[in-house]
Amino acid sequence: MKISVDWVEDFVDIPKDISPEDIAKCITKHTAEVEGALLLEKRYKNIVIGIIKKLQKHPKADRLNLTLVDIGKDEPVQIVCGGQNLYEGMRVAVALPGALVNLHGEDLLEIKKTKIRDEESNGMICAGEEIWLKPDNDPQAQEEIKIKDLSHLHVNAGTSLSKALNIKGLLLDIDNKSLTHRPDLWGHYGFAREFSAIWSRPLRSLNDLLFDGKEGDVSMKVRIEQPQVCPRFSACIVSGIKIEASPQWMQSRLELAGMKAINNIVDISNYVMLELGQPMHAYDRREIEGDELIVGLGKKEAKLMTLDGNEHTLHEEDPVIYNRKGEALILAGIKGGMKSGIQEDTQEIILEAANWNPVMIRKASTRHQLRTDASQRFEKGLDPSMTEIAVRRALKLIMQICPDAKLISPIENFGSWKENKLNIKVSPKNLCSKIGLQIPREDMIQILRSLGFGVESEGENLRVEVPSHRSGRDINIKEDIMEEIARIYGYEKIPALLPNLPSKLPQQNTIRFYEHKTRNLLAFLLGYTEILTYSFYGLDPLKACRLEEKAHMRVLNYLSEDQSHMRISMVPNILAVIGKNQRRHSLVKIFEIGRTYKESGKYMPLEEKKLIMAIAKKEEPFYDMKGALEDYLVAMGLSSYKLEPCQDPPNFAHPKKCLSINVRGQKVGYMFNVHPGVLNEFDIEKSVAMTELNFDKLLSRGIDEHKFKEPPKFPGISFDISILVDKKMESGSLLKKLKSLDGLIESVEIFDIYEGGELAQEKKSITYRFKLQHKDRTLTDQEFKTVQSKVIDFLGDLGAALRGACAKPEKC
Amino acid sequence: MSTDINQLRSEALEAVNASPDLESLKETERSFLGKNGRITDLLKKVKGLTLEEKKSFGKAVNTLKHELKQSIISKKKNLEQLQVETQLEKDWIDLSAPGKRRQSGHIHPLAQVQKEVESIFQQMGFSIIDGPEIESEFYNFEALNIAPHHPARDMQDTFFIDKAADEKEGRLVLRTHTSPNQVRTMLKWGAPLRVIIPGRVFRNEALDASHEHTFDQVEGLLIDKNISIAHMKGIMQEFLAGLFRKEMKVRFRPGYFPFVEPGIELDMSCVFCDGKGCSTCKKSGWIEFMGSGMVHPNVLKAGGVNPEEYQGWAFGFGLTRLTMMRYGINDIRHLTCGDLRINKQF
Repeated sequence: MKISVDWVEDFVDIPKDISPEDIAKCITKHTAEVEGALLLEKRYKNIVIGIIKKLQKHPKADRLNLTLVDIGKDEPVQIVCGGQNLYEGMRVAVALPGALVNLHGEDLLEIKKTKIRDEESNGMICAGEEIWLKPDNDPQAQEEIKIKDLSHLHVNAGTSLSKALNIKGLLLDIDNKSLTHRPDLWGHYGFAREFSAIWSRPLRSLNDLLFDGKEGDVSMKVRIEQPQVCPRFSACIVSGIKIEASPQWMQSRLELAGMKAINNIVDISNYVMLELGQPMHAYDRREIEGDELIVGLGKKEAKLMTLDGNEHTLHEEDPVIYNRKGEALILAGIKGGMKSGIQEDTQEIILEAANWNPVMIRKASTRHQLRTDASQRFEKGLDPSMTEIAVRRALKLIMQICPDAKLISPIENFGSWKENKLNIKVSPKNLCSKIGLQIPREDMIQILRSLGFGVESEGENLRVEVPSHRSGRDINIKEDIMEEIARIYGYEKIPALLPNLPSKLPQQNTIRFYEHKTRNLLAFLLGYTEILTYSFYGLDPLKACRLEEKAHMRVLNYLSEDQSHMRISMVPNILAVIGKNQRRHSLVKIFEIGRTYKESGKYMPLEEKKLIMAIAKKEEPFYDMKGALEDYLVAMGLSSYKLEPCQDPPNFAHPKKCLSINVRGQKVGYMFNVHPGVLNEFDIEKSVAMTELNFDKLLSRGIDEHKFKEPPKFPGISFDISILVDKKMESGSLLKKLKSLDGLIESVEIFDIYEGGELAQEKKSITYRFKLQHKDRTLTDQEFKTVQSKVIDFLGDLGAALRGACAKPEKC
Repeated sequence: MSTDINQLRSEALEAVNASPDLESLKETERSFLGKNGRITDLLKKVKGLTLEEKKSFGKAVNTLKHELKQSIISKKKNLEQLQVETQLEKDWIDLSAPGKRRQSGHIHPLAQVQKEVESIFQQMGFSIIDGPEIESEFYNFEALNIAPHHPARDMQDTFFIDKAADEKEGRLVLRTHTSPNQVRTMLKWGAPLRVIIPGRVFRNEALDASHEHTFDQVEGLLIDKNISIAHMKGIMQEFLAGLFRKEMKVRFRPGYFPFVEPGIELDMSCVFCDGKGCSTCKKSGWIEFMGSGMVHPNVLKAGGVNPEEYQGWAFGFGLTRLTMMRYGINDIRHLTCGDLRINKQF
């Protein structure tokens, strides 16, 4: 919202020694965020009123004019101008050298003395859009260039534009979001009250601004059919109106606030809204039969053409005002109707200001996609006491601007609203302890009073009476009073203190500890890169992964088709990431820690923390993933894991390349190759192996106890044996048996598996490496030979051909 | 005999001396001192000698053996040194060629910053709490003093789960902030309380460079008997100094959040210009950092904490934004797009 400090100064004097920057900073610190501050005099520097004395065609350019312009100096100056609506005697805005004008929105152009087709030009004659006024030209149209005609301003040539238009002072741009809870700040008077509190300056009473003249006796009728829609409605009838343009000062203020000037009556109602925050409406009396207005709800399927020329179909919860004939006149609190609005020949008006139910206004404005200056204010919940005040303020302005105007009715108030005084008891001591700063009692009283609160001492405590512009809105409890005092006194005065709390250990978050540890292991030990994906996916990837749609929770109002289902598996989004990266990286190794979501049977869904690792490459990735998984589990202190052929592989897994992962007797996940059919669906040209683990379960049964083991004191012996077996024999299945062949066998591992080359096609060679060890002595050759032949005999019995016999035993 | 010995000595020493390299030295050693070496052979001649002769002969041979060994050792040293010198002379390596690198993985920047944040708060005695990402309307709104008609509850801001509403808890939503866990944590642990709650939150907002429908926040909550706004200034100043490893200032501004009163916007001194004013802070010297305030009595009550006995403050800041700020990431979408060229930079 735009706040003109010049306008605010109608009601309060701001200390003269405060710089514009400081004003903006102070408002930010004490009241609401100032997003921008513009000193208007500075914006209009070197732009003055000029009067065109002589107009002729440019000798060398058809579309240009050569003008002599009086700019208040001894001699008129020559300016080249392309405007087609120029005439001699026209008052125009002249940007002199050094001025900055608005070029196509954002860019500023500095005016310089120049020559255009050999003719000297001492400045620029401006169109409205170039000097931040109502535009004269359509940005698309290039044909005819129009210049701002300021002939209605009866000022001398050379007068600064800022002065001529009464556009001066600081223009603040306030962040609307920071005013959500402050309906009282949606007008300049509300800001004046804040200024007065911040700088301890007296605030001009509203009474000075209100009409208190003679009232007429024509009776005005308002029937409120739904009391909850409209708690208060103030109205009156004015005759003797002549519709014309409003005075320049008023137009300028409206335009600064971002509103268009239309005519005197409409401008006055908007002006009052910008000043007091209370929207108003004026009807042409001719459309209001019997001077009666009926406040009700939308009749089903009824139509209403609003002032912007759009037709709206009314809804049964829209607040609407009707005339006696039952014609909808306005979409109440949002936008006026075309038919009942002010016309060029309107002579008598009905003027109203009402208080509307904020929730109904918000819903109706959302329904009709019509957010207006009025609806924006009403949906915050305005002070009902303001309706009469607004009518009186408008009347004062009407009398000032339309000399023949006459109030022919009383100013009447309708509705069930009654003022309800709210009193809050606060303890200054308690307040200071919560703020963490000693604020003198007198300062508290002074601050509250300057904001319009009533304050009485009650012993140690204060009894605070909340003014109607805050009561029931943002001020309800003693904490609200604390905020008023603290913010005006100054948050910057609060010291930075550390609390005196017991230094006890915080609660341990074990899962989080291992999450971070997992990241370190996967990234720095195993070379996997962490990624983050969304918590949802669409129906297509879900189906591509052969997941059951029914098993998913769905998002009701999803943003796009690919975000409609809450993930029950991390696989689909990871596959998408692999697809995205496969062209650029020959090897993709990624992981993610995140949650999956599914129905639990209870109200709250089951959220499980999952770890997924994936590797994608051209060659078989199964053993890379298996190895990484094993390394990871051991490093996590879970070395007693079991990887077993999976009996129930998930649908997205290769049915023959899937292991189930068991840790401490509990199944915690799967390690698998992705099903080639699924890869096709994702257009992935590499093979992909993955591990998906339930991270909560993985750790739920604790980790290995870490115990030191003394290294053997005596040398052991290691030897290798290679055998030739059928390709489909499971190399790992013999390990356990081999180890149990003799007590001296400390360990057996698979050293190498070899296929192809000179081997028959259906055969493979496996090399096992044995390590023998005795804990009390050195082994003898004989012992080694005995064990070795036991192994050879065992393998021979299995039908395995001894291939590479035995390598030399190595002492180790 | 002694002439034999003398003869052999000069021959042996001569041979050691003449060995051109380690290999021939070894050969020389073998030919004199080996199993069938000539000195070993000498000893075989003692059979016919008298005891006296045997004694002196044996001594002489041993002396020779010793002498020869010493000479071999010293020759070996010389040859080794020579060999090293020749080696060094020959050696050359392409110092500019690349080292053998391991392909390290990378931790997501968000997780890195989260870990740092958690560790700083833990050092100040805060526990780290997690809460559900799919929340009830009750905890996401009502319990936080957000009335049913508050604009924050509009469909436009909140994702709803397609499931029938519960009478008490309302509909299920994707939590729009981490704040619901204020109440959950109070109900679970009671007061006093010192916790932070980092986590993923969701807003029904169209995606652009600075808006995501999915991002991370950190909620903080400190409840005790004498906690004041001044303590929030202190703790946050301490936290920011820990995070940015330099002195940081914070500034309060009035703000509005239904679950705190007073509501305070907290700005931090600009980390890029130390408050002098730059393009990042739009010349103001301050960067908007978080929303905060004293916990609203209604929220304390919803958490089963007596507002007459306990008081405290809460805050919430964007972890995602903080991460972007820390690394100068200008587009929020970079964090979740999964382009490894981005992830591998961290």
